Amino acid sequence: MDQQQAPRFFIHGPSPFTRLIVFSTLSLALMASDSKFSYLTPVRQALTVALQPLQVVANSPFVLYNNIGEYFTSQQALRHDVDLLKKQAIYQGVQLQVLTSLKNENEHLRSLMEASKVSSPPARLAEIMYTGRDPFTHKVIVNLGEANHVLPGQAVVDGAGVVGQVTRVFPYTSEVTLLTDKELSIPIQVERNALRAISFGHGRDNTVNLPYLPANVDIKKGDKLVTSGIDGIYPSGLGVAVVTSVKTNVSSPFAQIIATPIAGIQNHRQVLILSSDTTNFVAKDIQQVLSEDAKKQLNKKEKTSRRSDAKP
Amino acid sequence: MQNLRRRRVYFTLLAALLLQLLPFSGWLLQIKPDFLLLALLFWLLRAPNICNIGMAWSAGILMDLISGDLFGQNALAYALTAFFAVMYQRRLILFTVLQQSAYVFLLLFVNQVILLMLKSFSGGEYFGWTYFVPSFTGIMLWYAVLHSRLSINIMTRQQ
Repeated sequence: MDQQQAPRFFIHGPSPFTRLIVFSTLSLALMASDSKFSYLTPVRQALTVALQPLQVVANSPFVLYNNIGEYFTSQQALRHDVDLLKKQAIYQGVQLQVLTSLKNENEHLRSLMEASKVSSPPARLAEIMYTGRDPFTHKVIVNLGEANHVLPGQAVVDGAGVVGQVTRVFPYTSEVTLLTDKELSIPIQVERNALRAISFGHGRDNTVNLPYLPANVDIKKGDKLVTSGIDGIYPSGLGVAVVTSVKTNVSSPFAQIIATPIAGIQNHRQVLILSSDTTNFVAKDIQQVLSEDAKKQLNKKEKTSRRSDAKP
Repeated sequence: MQNLRRRRVYFTLLAALLLQLLPFSGWLLQIKPDFLLLALLFWLLRAPNICNIGMAWSAGILMDLISGDLFGQNALAYALTAFFAVMYQRRLILFTVLQQSAYVFLLLFVNQVILLMLKSFSGGEYFGWTYFVPSFTGIMLWYAVLHSRLSINIMTRQQ
């Protein structure tokens, strides 16, 4: 029997309105619980893993296209790349020699001053699988996840500077929020005069803002903004953005400062995820304290047992 | 017969989901129509006993997962849109292709408006007029599919 000619009376089940009420209450409840509590994170992770095969299938034509493109790269292009890389290697080799001597000197001076050592965090290369589905949030999905010990909050950089931060970790993938996203803010410093500020993603254009700075602030067009490192997430001195415009408005006490990111956040396939050492340090400290406590307790027990042995 | 139809509905929805998952970027992402919603509306209007509001809601949950949005955002929008589609389903089926397309365009638009409202409740921003471009590309796709061999195939084999 065809449904289109059949009267509504013969359709089984609840009416559309009842269904609508049921499902909208359900989704409202889901939204409320997802935004206020984190009960649904495991559910989300499990379902994401279940969707993974579909994702792989959907990605496959693009991966294939890229692979074919790489296979048929012309010899000229390859030679050009090799020349460029060789030149870069020579320049950077010279810089590296200077850097190692400077590093040694710096460490020596720091040890003389009894300052804490600056650690260079280990990094891991991740590949961008695809950009987020929503064109109005600036997020990308990379191919490292919980299985590769990626943690939410880790900094993501490329050769030029900061790309963003890991915001959500799934078992085999993780979501990186780019620094141009409205949700992301980075503590920065102006390289020229070491002025500290916080940069916020603009959201729509590929730029970042520096709000809440007074109109007479000493920032000029062309100033380079680097990470200040006081948040413990981003190592200090990484390039973030270059100031492109500084405007002052008579009606506002704040300057309108716009900067463009240095890192090629739109045109990279590979990025580095820095493993933040802070968490490890904290964990080590806790472990150390715990083990010391345990030792003390053992000692006490031994002492008391000895005393009790000695008494009778 | 019923089973065959059911399978066809599920197959088209799966295909639409795959299209939705395609890793577009840049301006292609901005104009990408909502394939899944289009497929849902197609079946909501033609086989309301198989594809109902519950299915639209489940598809919305999948979309929430894919886009990483708050759980239930897309689901609520899809369920409401599906309700509006089902409400006039038996009248719509008698309309001409052009009239139907106009109504479907309205539905796509309503879906985006609901999503926009939900997103701004959860701390979204002003997106600009380009936010509504997928509705236009969506209705173009709808019109193209209804006129193409593909949709005629589906409909004649169904009856």
